[in-house]
Amino acid sequence: MSDQHPALSLRGLAKRFDTKVAVAGVDLDVPAGSFYGLLGPNGAGKTTTLSMAVGLLRPDAGQARVLGYDVWADPVRAKGLLGVMPDGVRLFDRLSGAELLAYHGLLRGMDPAVVDQRAAELLDVLALNDAGRTLVVDYSAGMKKKIGLACALLHGPRLLVLDEPFEAVDPVSAALIRDILHRYVTGGGTVVFSSHVMETVERLCSHVAILADGRIKRVGTLDQVRGDRSLEEVFVAVVGGRTATGEELSWLSR
Amino acid sequence: MAVPVTAPAEPVRKVSARHFVRLKLRVLGNNFRGQGWRIALFVVGLLFGLWFAVGGFFLLAAPGLAGEPRYALMIAAFGGGLLMLGWLLLPLAFFGVDETLDPARFALLPLSRRALVTGLFAAALVSVPVLATLIAVAGLVVTAGALGGWLAALVGLVGVLAGLLLCVAAARAVTSAFATMLRSRRVRDLAAVLLAVLAALLGPLQIAVLAAVRRADWDQLTGAARIVGWTPFGAPWTAGIDVAEGRAWAAGLKLLITALAVGALLLWWSRSLESAMVGAVSAGPSRDRRGALGGAVAQLFPRAVGWSRRDRFGALVARECRYWWRDARRRANLITIAVVGIFVPVMVNVGGARLAVEGGEAFGEVTANSSPVLVSLSLVFVGVLASVTVANQFGFDGSAYAANVVAGVPGRLELRARMTAFAIYVVPLLVAVAVILAALLRHPGWLGVMAGALFAAYGSGLAINGFVSVLGAYALPETSNPFAMNTGAGVAKSLLTLLSMIASAAAAVPMVVAAALLGDLWLWLALPVGLAYGVGAALLGSYLAGDVLDRRQPELLAAVTPRR
Repeated sequence: MSDQHPALSLRGLAKRFDTKVAVAGVDLDVPAGSFYGLLGPNGAGKTTTLSMAVGLLRPDAGQARVLGYDVWADPVRAKGLLGVMPDGVRLFDRLSGAELLAYHGLLRGMDPAVVDQRAAELLDVLALNDAGRTLVVDYSAGMKKKIGLACALLHGPRLLVLDEPFEAVDPVSAALIRDILHRYVTGGGTVVFSSHVMETVERLCSHVAILADGRIKRVGTLDQVRGDRSLEEVFVAVVGGRTATGEELSWLSR
Repeated sequence: MAVPVTAPAEPVRKVSARHFVRLKLRVLGNNFRGQGWRIALFVVGLLFGLWFAVGGFFLLAAPGLAGEPRYALMIAAFGGGLLMLGWLLLPLAFFGVDETLDPARFALLPLSRRALVTGLFAAALVSVPVLATLIAVAGLVVTAGALGGWLAALVGLVGVLAGLLLCVAAARAVTSAFATMLRSRRVRDLAAVLLAVLAALLGPLQIAVLAAVRRADWDQLTGAARIVGWTPFGAPWTAGIDVAEGRAWAAGLKLLITALAVGALLLWWSRSLESAMVGAVSAGPSRDRRGALGGAVAQLFPRAVGWSRRDRFGALVARECRYWWRDARRRANLITIAVVGIFVPVMVNVGGARLAVEGGEAFGEVTANSSPVLVSLSLVFVGVLASVTVANQFGFDGSAYAANVVAGVPGRLELRARMTAFAIYVVPLLVAVAVILAALLRHPGWLGVMAGALFAAYGSGLAINGFVSVLGAYALPETSNPFAMNTGAGVAKSLLTLLSMIASAAAAVPMVVAAALLGDLWLWLALPVGLAYGVGAALLGSYLAGDVLDRRQPELLAAVTPRR
């Protein structure tokens, strides 16, 4: 059974673009049933890592396994267990929300009747019914995130990989997305998501990994990683940010 | 010293057109960095451009070099006019405009509309086609100088430069306005009809013009050239000749006409630029907000795909069908197929035959009589042209293709579905082309030959382009302008298109050979054989190219994802 396996297991994933090393050997084990936050500053390699983990970007080296199935050697089984919401990737946005869900459902080989029923439910819960036949391209940023989440959830995956699910989402939609993800994890699913918003991660996650310069810097349960400090302090210390001294940018103050 | 933030500081230096030109050169240069093949493609494009430029130069300079003042006005008016027409129509029909500097990127900068338009216009002047045109029309300066001395040459130079500005302004204004128009749904149907009517008119018009040329005597031709010379199409090119022929006042007036035309076009352009900058979404009429009709699945499938099973194949076909209509870029391609598909065979067959009847030997024996061979040949071209549209079918999707990669769609299924969806649009169109042509030629018996050639060429073209679309995909910019292309992609696109057209045409050659060898028997056999040939080729192509696709899905996704 796949339950002995971690939901997602990365071994030595590496990717280099031309001369720039984007990801320099990432090892990560995401236990089944966890709510896993992948933290990192911009350009740390979060999107590259997740893309390689779900089969969107071929790694230069390393392995990615979903519940024991190798994403690159046995893609059919691995992808069947996966739900993905990439960031910075367009949806087939010249479909309406309902059409897009039907497309994703049928593409996953689902029964049309089940697709209809689940699509209606998802549109209802995510408050996208009002949009009617509006094309997704005309949706607001928050609505796009929500329909993307619905597409990833539709076929009932065991592992959900979300790249920046809370980016550009208003508080109401964010609360709704958080709620749905919570229910999904409570029901036995596993969520991996990337973010650079400490507050969200601290509120949601059971496990955290901090990624910077293409490497994992800290990893463990939320309490292990932050210790007795706040997550933000740990993050800034690990990533090595600088603080303003007050001398520069003086022209900003009047 | 502290400056109040509410009052923006006066810019230290004014933004001038120079900045835009430098920005464009920088973007061009960065595009080449570390990409050897892009440099190679650019050089190939440059060589092609130079070749045409030098040819044009000697043609336009011929009256001056040969000392034949009689031809000077006519060549300047007609040659220059054709050049202008090309600048006006070619970007619309085939090539698209270079959107290296996307106007939308400048929306947030505090630039006046005037600065923006002049800047973008100056940047648009930095391109290979402009250079090629400049070299070609320099021939007119030579002519004017040889016939009228240095003053005529000087006026000719001014006229030619103004004419070049006019060409670029016309191309920009028309494509920009058209792009804005095509975004709204109400207008795009109208545009399709208009283009079709235009195409339908072009054939007879050309025949009439050629017949007129044949019959007309010298004075009539010169008169026509004079008239053209007073329109913006000919005014800038003929100014130098006017001075040479002693009509300095006319030259002045013509330069004024040109300047006014450039001004008007730039004004028009700046209007449509503004709507391009503030976003396309508001330009279109809002879609109706009726509630859901039936379930989600029922909504996805258009009526034309109602026959399909509700499975992966059906979903792919349905989504592609929706996209061929809803994506302005794809729709523009469909319109091109419709226009050229009717225009070319009519020109070749009806036009050629008509001319031959009127006693013209100029077009040679080949077109002297329309025959099954000639018809097959022209229709093979149409079929190939239709199939070349999908040479970058994954590029249309852009990064959205990630959904199919994540879902693990098998390559063969993907390609078969895409071919099916495209055929739902194109096959009726091809049938219409065959019927119209058969009616025009008054040879209903040739209908089978025509349809057979069309289907064979289209099917084998789909097979070849299946490979091309998997192996040679490139990213299209994510703008709503259906005519936009990435820098450098112009040459890549043309070369790739040319290659796949040659390969597809070669694959369809047996149909033409059969038409030549089998005679009347072929009239009956052509349709079933052509249909089987086309369907078989397409299936074989999807089978083989599908394997390739399975192996390089992530690479394909990376290739079609626009770099930001």
